[in-house]
Amino acid sequence: MQQGVLQTAKASKVLRERLIDALGSDAVKTSPEDLAVYAFDAYTDGGIPSAVVLPRSTRDVSAIVKIARDCGEPIVARGAGTGLCGGAVPISGGVVLCFARMNCVLELDERNRRARVQPGLINLDLSRHVAASGLFYAPDPSSQQISTLGGNIATNAGGPHCLSYGTTVNHVLALEVVDASGEVFTTSIDDVGYDLTAALVGSEGTLGIVTSAWLRLVALPESVRVWLAAFDDIDSASEAVTAIIAAGILPTALEMMDAVITQAVEAAFHAGYPTKAAAVLLIENAGFEEDVEASEAAIHSIVMRHGARSWRGARDKAERDALWAGRKGAAGATGRIAPNYYTQDVCVPRSKLPPALRAVDAASRANGITVGNVFHAGDGNLHPLLMYDKRDRKQVAAVVETGNEILQAAIDLGGTISGEHGIGWEKREAMTRVYSTADLAAMGRVRDVFDPARILNPEKIFPSGARCPEVVPR
Amino acid sequence: MRATQERVAPKNTQALSKIVARCDRAGEKIRIAGGETLSGMGFPPERVDVTLVTAGLTGVAANERADLVIAARGGTPVQDIVTLLAAQGQFVPFDAPLPQYATLGGTLAAGWLGPRRHLYGRLRDYLLGSTIVLADGSIARAGGMVVKNVAGYDMSRLYVGSFGTLGVLTQANLKTIPLPPHGRLFLAPLPERTRERACTQLARLPIRPAAAFWIEGFHHTIDGDEGPEGRILALLEGSDALLERATLELRSALGRAGVPETRVVNAGAREAFERVVDAYVACLGERSVTYRVYPSAHESGARASSSSELARRFGLRSETIVDVMNGDVVLRVSDLDAHAFGAKIEAFDDALHDAQPRAQVVASKHPHRASLRVWGAPPAAIDQMRALKARFDPNRTLNPGCFVDGI
Repeated sequence: MQQGVLQTAKASKVLRERLIDALGSDAVKTSPEDLAVYAFDAYTDGGIPSAVVLPRSTRDVSAIVKIARDCGEPIVARGAGTGLCGGAVPISGGVVLCFARMNCVLELDERNRRARVQPGLINLDLSRHVAASGLFYAPDPSSQQISTLGGNIATNAGGPHCLSYGTTVNHVLALEVVDASGEVFTTSIDDVGYDLTAALVGSEGTLGIVTSAWLRLVALPESVRVWLAAFDDIDSASEAVTAIIAAGILPTALEMMDAVITQAVEAAFHAGYPTKAAAVLLIENAGFEEDVEASEAAIHSIVMRHGARSWRGARDKAERDALWAGRKGAAGATGRIAPNYYTQDVCVPRSKLPPALRAVDAASRANGITVGNVFHAGDGNLHPLLMYDKRDRKQVAAVVETGNEILQAAIDLGGTISGEHGIGWEKREAMTRVYSTADLAAMGRVRDVFDPARILNPEKIFPSGARCPEVVPR
Repeated sequence: MRATQERVAPKNTQALSKIVARCDRAGEKIRIAGGETLSGMGFPPERVDVTLVTAGLTGVAANERADLVIAARGGTPVQDIVTLLAAQGQFVPFDAPLPQYATLGGTLAAGWLGPRRHLYGRLRDYLLGSTIVLADGSIARAGGMVVKNVAGYDMSRLYVGSFGTLGVLTQANLKTIPLPPHGRLFLAPLPERTRERACTQLARLPIRPAAAFWIEGFHHTIDGDEGPEGRILALLEGSDALLERATLELRSALGRAGVPETRVVNAGAREAFERVVDAYVACLGERSVTYRVYPSAHESGARASSSSELARRFGLRSETIVDVMNGDVVLRVSDLDAHAFGAKIEAFDDALHDAQPRAQVVASKHPHRASLRVWGAPPAAIDQMRALKARFDPNRTLNPGCFVDGI
């Protein structure tokens, strides 16, 4: 967390007039109370935008980019503002482009299992829209009830089911993009040439602004089962996860929660989690009946061998949904423990889960911070939730230190500084801890091509002060 | 430009980096050579001063078996990785032709698309991290050894399919998945009247075959069968219990389509599947060109038939492999005589591309390959691609002119 970065910006008269001229006053917000609403995302630091614009079409987006560029204003695209690392925050002002009005399914191609959507469409709304066709959209970040597909694409969002289905990038087939000069271009994974689709997914709004996307849909599985395994200690639970993967079993989802989380979840949702266990594994397997049944026996045997004290399967869809609702609402449920929480997001090799969790425990103890663990164990993707009260400066400092120690522990274990939330504003300085100057320079070259003037979401991803100098190891 | 071509085979990334940097400074052009199995793809390089062979960069850098992650050097033969992974119950769906020669780096750089991708995903989606030597000799790493990583741009995927024009891949880190416990290969004759329906039925199966081909020509014996009138080859993969159900469904679907007899290939099933993939790039010297025609608007069956018909109109012999599950068609056109072939191929190439803009050449030893539209129609974002090349390789040192639109 970098404190005290709230700057005020004021829309120049020209900017305001030109935006209203192009889009109508209904689409342009410049009053201080409106701007304040867009100063933050789910991270702690904020910045007041010069103007907020709500486009209705690709043409609108193109017009906004051209006007902002003419007026020397940076452009920050924003979905639902659920990002956890300040990716959608206009740190030093600029035009925020909010996609709330571009939220439609434009086409559904059932035969080829794909849909074309606008970026403001809420993730879960796509699955709801296509359910009648026996299809769903697989990437499911916990924020899926509110986060938008445009934001998911920008961060290459993950989620519990990415263990078997892969992250967002595996599901993006084609993009329509407005570039830094306001021109529209399209990419497709079926095009010959460079895979620009892959470069754009996860680029956090720094290479272009996605205005529509063809997304891959997946057939609803024939059989779904969800099981809960409870353990008396965290080590045994994490070792069980490592053993399941090492045995070559990839369930659809393999999630872990510790006692801090299960107790909060039970108090909030009554989802059916055991509250006396030190750790719980939520395991789902979906697919063909024969395979799901076979996997149950295999997973059960590994889990029991690693000292699970109980094992139970959800009896029906209602029970399954309740367990998943608890898991996906876990972060919110921690509001019962402390007024604020900070979510760290790191990913380690899956066999390194036990030492990674021990490091999380050591860091939080050393700094006197309560930590709750709820995460995608099968992917090695940890999410320690650090509880604190932001009114207490000491606690804030302790959380910053804990988060930092966890980050370093993940790097030391051969992991990375973000598994699925993104780098944004929060972690940009940490990029130098995992990448060399040459590594960052290669990324900088891509940026040079798409946004040479650095007007698209500046101050994100790349460390400050680095315009990524040329590296010539000669 | 030097009078004679130099051939170098560095043993590690550092040495390779020095060679590339030296060439870039001196204005010398590099052709990157892996196993040469896909050397029929792309345009011939505009100029070659140095052939950079990756065969010295071999071996597994890390085999994290319990993590389902493997890292290998760019020149490692694909088959070495396949064999190693199979021994530990894992796999990556490379499905590269001639895997004993094909290299990891070359397969990735060519963006090879295998027939099982509809089920297991594209090779690009297995790439977790990479090491690449850029044109100025700098060594850039991207990603890592973890299965989820959103720290910065996804540079590794950008390099997949870049045909060596952005840099030389010297290491790739891949995630692996559990090897399907069983496979079963089915063979059936495919009389003309059954073809369209058989393809439709196969594509609609609830338990999707890992691969399904409708093959005409490319004669080789599969379990005693020569396949004179066209045949279908379908591969099911999964648990024993699932295969039982899938077998019933597949037989009944093909029966409904009027296919006379579907039998299980008992001897050499895996090899038979691999031979089909090898056939994608099989060349008849200078008297053939093999295209891969990717789907646009039409059915794959119709695309195969119309492409074959077109070949006949130009007096060329045609053979086809229809990848039923993904929709692309491998089309080999040839003539008995290389001279006669040379007289027809350019006009045929024009006509094919008018009908199928997404047809690409995948195998050709034809001397005038440069005059064919080997990459098909340029993509919509060609300007951005040109700019990327200019930013990564301003001196056009690496594989100059080989890629799309002469990049």
